[in-house]
Amino acid sequence: MRITRIEIRNFRSIRHLAVDLGETTVFVGPNNAGKTAILEALRIALTRRWGQRGTGFTEYDVHLKNDADDPKTSPGVSIELRAEESKPRESAALAEELGRAVQIDPVTKRRFIILRVRCAWSEKSGAFEPTWEFLNITRGPVRDQAAQTRLERFWRHLPVFYLSALRDASDEYSPRSQFWGRLLKSLQIPTSVEARVQRALEGLNEDVLDADPRLRKIAATLSETTRIAARERDGGLNLRMAPLKTWDLLSKAEIVLRNEPDRPWLPLSRQGQGIQSLSVIFLFRAFIDHLLRELYEPESQPVLALEEPETHLHPQAVRTLWGHVEALPGQKIITSHSPYFVQHVPFRDLRLVRLTANGTEVRSLPATFATTIPALDGMDTFVAQSAGRLHYEKRSTTLTVRGALEREDYRALLALCGGHDRRTELERTLQELRDRSSRYVTDDELTALETYARRMRGEIFFAERWLIVEGQTDFLIVHALAQALNYDLDQHGVAVIDAQNNGNPTTFTVLARALEIPWLAVFDGDAAGRNYRDGISGRGFGDNEMERRCRIHSDGDLEAQLLADGLGRELREILSHLGVPDAENIGDDQLPARLRERKADYAALLADRFRNDESLTDRAPVAFRDAIKRLPGLT
Amino acid sequence: MSSDPLRSSLSTLTDVQRRAVDWDGGRLLMLAGPGSGKTRVLACRIARLLDGTRKRHFRILVLTCTNKAAMEIKTRVAEMVPGLEERANATTFPGFCEQVLGQHGAHLHIKSDFSVYSLPVDRQAVLEDALRRAGGNNGTSREDVRYLPLIDSLKERLIAPDRAEAFLSGANGAASIDAGHIACVYRLYEEELRRAGALDFNSLVFETYRLFKTYPVFPEFYQQSCPYWLIDEFQDTNDAQYRLLLSMVIGGFRDVFVVSDDDGIGSEWNGASMRRTRDFVRKVDCEVMQLPTNFRCPPDVVEAASRLTVYHGRRADSNRPAAPTATVGHAANPDEAPVRCLVFSTDAQEIAGIAGEIASLDAEERNGTAVLARRRAPLQAVRDALQERDVPAYLDLRRGDFASAEVRWLAACLEQVRRPLDRRNMALLGRSFEQFSEARVDWEEIASRSESEGVTWLAAWLDSVRGNGAEGTDDALVAPVAALAAGAITPAAAADQVLTCLERRGADDDLKEDLEAWRRLHGDAGSGNGDLSPAGFLPASPPAPGAVTLTTMHGARGREFDTVYLLGLAEGILPSCRSIRTEAEDGGAAMDEERRECYVVITGARRRVVLSRARRYRGTETQPSRFLAEMGAPPT
Repeated sequence: MRITRIEIRNFRSIRHLAVDLGETTVFVGPNNAGKTAILEALRIALTRRWGQRGTGFTEYDVHLKNDADDPKTSPGVSIELRAEESKPRESAALAEELGRAVQIDPVTKRRFIILRVRCAWSEKSGAFEPTWEFLNITRGPVRDQAAQTRLERFWRHLPVFYLSALRDASDEYSPRSQFWGRLLKSLQIPTSVEARVQRALEGLNEDVLDADPRLRKIAATLSETTRIAARERDGGLNLRMAPLKTWDLLSKAEIVLRNEPDRPWLPLSRQGQGIQSLSVIFLFRAFIDHLLRELYEPESQPVLALEEPETHLHPQAVRTLWGHVEALPGQKIITSHSPYFVQHVPFRDLRLVRLTANGTEVRSLPATFATTIPALDGMDTFVAQSAGRLHYEKRSTTLTVRGALEREDYRALLALCGGHDRRTELERTLQELRDRSSRYVTDDELTALETYARRMRGEIFFAERWLIVEGQTDFLIVHALAQALNYDLDQHGVAVIDAQNNGNPTTFTVLARALEIPWLAVFDGDAAGRNYRDGISGRGFGDNEMERRCRIHSDGDLEAQLLADGLGRELREILSHLGVPDAENIGDDQLPARLRERKADYAALLADRFRNDESLTDRAPVAFRDAIKRLPGLT
Repeated sequence: MSSDPLRSSLSTLTDVQRRAVDWDGGRLLMLAGPGSGKTRVLACRIARLLDGTRKRHFRILVLTCTNKAAMEIKTRVAEMVPGLEERANATTFPGFCEQVLGQHGAHLHIKSDFSVYSLPVDRQAVLEDALRRAGGNNGTSREDVRYLPLIDSLKERLIAPDRAEAFLSGANGAASIDAGHIACVYRLYEEELRRAGALDFNSLVFETYRLFKTYPVFPEFYQQSCPYWLIDEFQDTNDAQYRLLLSMVIGGFRDVFVVSDDDGIGSEWNGASMRRTRDFVRKVDCEVMQLPTNFRCPPDVVEAASRLTVYHGRRADSNRPAAPTATVGHAANPDEAPVRCLVFSTDAQEIAGIAGEIASLDAEERNGTAVLARRRAPLQAVRDALQERDVPAYLDLRRGDFASAEVRWLAACLEQVRRPLDRRNMALLGRSFEQFSEARVDWEEIASRSESEGVTWLAAWLDSVRGNGAEGTDDALVAPVAALAAGAITPAAAADQVLTCLERRGADDDLKEDLEAWRRLHGDAGSGNGDLSPAGFLPASPPAPGAVTLTTMHGARGREFDTVYLLGLAEGILPSCRSIRTEAEDGGAAMDEERRECYVVITGARRRVVLSRARRYRGTETQPSRFLAEMGAPPT
């Protein structure tokens, strides 16, 4: 069983947010967008002692719309977690133990548990009152006297471990720490070994004391202490150079390591920050592998909330980190700021966190889309015949569509609404579902992106806006042009995507739509460019949308356009500079072909010229200039 | 170490009992006679299963007929494996259904906070509300509240409103009743229950059955979370509970252990419960184990009693007693015979004769003596006769409620003060008051006054009753309740004043007995802080030492005495007129039930049974009970 969904209301930067969680889920987004709030919500819900006073949330946790907002008038924080089996009968022990809190989906036969914790201001007690309950499939509370015991059992089965971005190796390896400390405590030393160690320690102590006669003398002087604070019987004082007890010895245990065979062994605290940070992640793994089952339950599924696993690591190390993190046992919920880390995260596991006027929001690439709609006459039959495209859950009245809602299915569903007295409302609901599901990005498209756009991915998911162009030439020129126009693309979080080298422009537009990333595209005015435009338009973008977002050079391909824009003289100079002998002499008709032969080279030099000579931008292709002007504030 | 009490319990079991406790061969039906130690077997089995799975957390489902039996099993389990008893989910069928619906009822649109209406008055009030709401549409009227028992029996047969019409017209052929009309009343009743967010006792089982039938995943769910089931008193399950059980064991669930009372020792399986037992064995394909009776009573008693069961289930038309194969009552000293028959000429003489005989016993013998009768009236007469002879006697009557309207009203008043919003109790309060007084109140007016003036129903009612004043209302009776409602006096003081007033007015037998019972329970316990709710009126406290126990046959079930006097063994008394009258209609089911009861109480005698009858009851000539002949008692 693992957490499949978290729904949060009025918590810190979050007004309302529902996120589906997978085996591994990676949240990316700018600082202060609300990533940590999501992890914290999860942690608070699954670790606080609910039902006891003074636990739960404080007034600082309540989401405030503005400065004048009062946490006491808020409906309060609410966090709802759904934990579900990934296959029927998976969590037998949990089901036995959690008794009435356990629900089951009659269709999928998977068991699930919904826990809701809330905290709101109570006039009566003059405090923020925490409450919690288990919910049934209609989200009504489950009647259960033993709920408190069940909650504690629930925690034991889904223990949450939190590794914050500021993890400190010296804390994590202290004798009282959550993993290391408990590992040390769990060590079982046979009595015979313990006695032997004890004797060895005594011997060592004596050896050291004997090594320098001054030590004995010091001890004698110090023993005056006991004489002054005398009791009836004589005390004693001795010098202890080696640890007293086995536990004392163990508590001093530490990690030493060296990177290469001929380097000296050094303790962890003398290692670089990156190694220290990394070692904590592997410490977690050791804890799970060797102690979790013993301290928790045989079937316990750990939930690891891990902030920024990449902290202090070199890009190469970060790239390999994904594999290690993914292999950690249990469910992983991760935040990251590293393009190198994100490169390897499967698309569907990514969650883009944004702070909008409505508070923190999350975008993802879901495989299914759901809406709530009452049971219509004939719905069951229709859904049963949909070959798995549609699914309807009667009790929660949830209609789920796998992928985009196909036109025929949409029409058939509309027809089912025919006799309903809330027909218009239902039609709107279906229309909304169709529109939302039309943003579906297919597995094939994502696979294609995996292949072509791996390196690109890290970068584009951190960008605020996308500008899609054809190739590298465009890439270089657009960057330079934007600088010259005083709108540095990097600084403003714009990713320029040279789509030709990374698959297909259409895929990026579909991706942008699904992730609600504002985008613009500029293509050549030739057959290929027109093909790209038509391809995009064929993916359900309306005419207005195409008009707004997609531009084509009016005079052919980029080279033809640059010449038409009157940059012929500059381009001939560049070619000459590049050593093309007849650059100054050939006819205008031959110039584009020559330029195409030296594409990257001429583009780099032309880009330099744009940067150095602002007046030149007046003659830059108008489609580029327009796009750059429209990027600020683009939605 | 903690398993020591378990080991010692296990060591006292007989071989067969031990085999049942250790049974691991799949579905099992255990036929157990009275005194065979079945409760011990059940408790030991549960304890053993729990002890063997200390690291697990599953619960064992134990379904019994009464909460008392569930508690008893749980207590015994706790003694053997302390701390593990929480893992024994011992409850009744309705109790289990309440758990299921609380957890999964949402799939049938049942909110998890539903309330359960188990009292007849509650359900009647629901139907009254439903009919009022229907306002005479569909041709319904307030008179239709009389169909409630019929609705109950439909629900017991798992017949939903939409199938009710077909069933009723089918069952009655010529349709002497308006099937469509009743179905409509039934539907209104169900809708009203839903509106109130309530389920009645029968719906608990019915809805759970529907849930299990509609979604087989739910019985599977319980098969997993409760991997062992034990069903006690299988023979007492009703049709709905039986079908629910069948729906639960789908998919060949393995570990179901069913215990059925086997009162036909040595006889072939017959009788209604045996038909069900046989049906169960066939449908779920289970092994059968017989737990032999380990009788406390003398062999003669066993023999006489078991002959009764030979007749169990015989058809009415062939009901001719076989010639006695053995005679009883011919021991050397007739008084010491294990089974004796006494014959008197009249019922009065029967009472006097029995009382006289008991009076001649010494105190210790009396203490172990019980006088049983089918009805309570003769028992009261025996008590009086014993008291005349200075023999202490204890009338142990188990009642769910008070016999007198006056005390019912008092109890309802106290309850209403505790729970001012309880409408059902308010209705009971009003109705019982009207039964013994002339007062008639306008309920519409009370409801609207309560709403508009924001006073409680009780306050509005009190105003209304006292406002009527002179006409038929004894204000001395109502005034203490008003004072209690105003918070001026304690419940105990109010009760005391009302009782005094009632006593002063003069009481009939029912009222007298209720007053005594009330005084006995609360008077001694010290006034002021006692629990004065009717719930406090559970079976009365144990009798004084040396007292003879007087109880109905029903009250004596499962209990043991040294000597049992069973009164009224005459046709029309035991068996009752009703059983004789309905024999042709119900195939002798009611008759069998009485026969069974006879069997059970007779085998509760450790030493002696005295069977008595009179030739005339209330002046009417009667024939000896057929049960006497069946037992082989000599005709006198």
